[in-house]
Amino acid sequence: MKRILLACSSGMSTSLLVSKMREVAEQKGIEAEIWAVGNEKAEKEMEKADVLLIGPQMRFLKKKLEKKAEEIGIKVDVIDPVAYGRMDGEKVFHQALELINK
Amino acid sequence: MNKVMEFLERWLLPVAEKLNNNRYLTALRDGFMVALPVIIFGSIFVVIANFPFLDRLLGEEAYAAYQNALGPASAATLSLMGLFVIVGIGYKLTEHYGGQAIYGGVVAIASFLILTPQTVEKVTGAIPTSSLGAQGLFLGIFTAIISAELYRFFINKNWVIKMPAGVPEAVSRSFSSLIPIGLTLTVFLLVRILFSYTPYETVQNFIYTVIQQPLTKLGSGLGATIVAVILIQIFWFFGLHGQIIVNTVFDPIWYALNDENFQAFQAGRELPNVITKQFIDTFLVGMGGSGMTLAVVILIFLIGRSRQVKELGKLGGPPGIFNVNEPITFGLPIILNPLALIPWILAPVVVTVITYFAMASGLVPKPAGIIVPWTTPIGISGFLATGNAWQGAVLQIFNLLVVMAIWWPFLKIIDKSYYEKENKPSE
Repeated sequence: MKRILLACSSGMSTSLLVSKMREVAEQKGIEAEIWAVGNEKAEKEMEKADVLLIGPQMRFLKKKLEKKAEEIGIKVDVIDPVAYGRMDGEKVFHQALELINK
Repeated sequence: MNKVMEFLERWLLPVAEKLNNNRYLTALRDGFMVALPVIIFGSIFVVIANFPFLDRLLGEEAYAAYQNALGPASAATLSLMGLFVIVGIGYKLTEHYGGQAIYGGVVAIASFLILTPQTVEKVTGAIPTSSLGAQGLFLGIFTAIISAELYRFFINKNWVIKMPAGVPEAVSRSFSSLIPIGLTLTVFLLVRILFSYTPYETVQNFIYTVIQQPLTKLGSGLGATIVAVILIQIFWFFGLHGQIIVNTVFDPIWYALNDENFQAFQAGRELPNVITKQFIDTFLVGMGGSGMTLAVVILIFLIGRSRQVKELGKLGGPPGIFNVNEPITFGLPIILNPLALIPWILAPVVVTVITYFAMASGLVPKPAGIIVPWTTPIGISGFLATGNAWQGAVLQIFNLLVVMAIWWPFLKIIDKSYYEKENKPSE
């Protein structure tokens, strides 16, 4: 079970991506829990996640969230802006899996 | 061009990080978030209470009774906005420090009430509701931050009441928050007493005249608003969330102006401010998101020829109706795209000027202080924000056409470059 958390300003635009990523996970038969939250909830929610991906427009949060992520031992990264614009669920899903396996 | 980009990136990202990692600004923003559901509840009931034509439909007497019945919904929420924001700030800041957040919220609200006038026209035992709303907003913000800091300071001092042996630990622990809270509130009581000897008489009056009024006056001007709008657009151009960054500074001012309008709207007086929270949210951001990219989506359907741009229209259309526009900003892309820079900055500024003068001249009613959720589609949001005025919706549509006209030539060039790339015969 892969638990992937996405965060942006209010969890709206990342939730668009979430539905695309779920489709990809289902197609590939990978069991995954993928969900999106607003930035103020990210710190709490990441306790339940294996990886945290931040919307590129909120990349100034990375440093702050990395601290907490290190404590609980998960990886944080910013979603690739091009993949974000295309709402490319496959690419972002792969980005998440790679981070988990690192 | 690349050098400029690099320089700005190096300069803007740290600014965004600083503003967003500043614990006070973060607490402030989260504090407003805490208050938002309550504020929106009140707003909905203002809208219901002021439905158009109801007065003629129900008759004057029944309409007055109807309004009276619904009045408390907004009087207890939207009008007292300051209270909820204060609890939110105190809570969030204390939570940030790892303290017992609920006490942080309670201390903040108690401190604020200590500083608040407690007589209304010589009647004691009454707190003027005006001081709990917009007028007290700035004092509330300062009080919440300072009280949370003091509370933490006294907690860290670890002054506790020593209980004799044999007293259960739970009992002695219940006293542990007593000293920090007591000392914090005492400080605010002293401040109140001190100010009663000054010409300002109350702290509230002091903060209002010395800080809030000058700041809101500055923030209500067209110039300051254009600066804010341009800043938002520049941050976004570099792919950073402009509103989140700029709003942390402007929100207190915009909300205060908003609430001044709301008080006037409820009292049936002339609305004092054009620039308000809703001016920004409904007439600028509220058209497909920041940069008003709903216009771009519509243009794509009208003139788009390349596959890439057409696909983007399908992807960005549905969320665009609800003012979510990341597919467009990152997908067209607008971000770091020199071809998009001019319309991206110009269109919002032009719309700001049009909207400002349309409202200042009385052609369109000013925002009535009702907070409309930012995901409300264009047309509806303009109608609601201006206190159920159809002119608000018309102005939004007009603005949309203006943005489309500004974007037209630029989107054409962007689309053409994609089209040529797609149709280049492969060698």
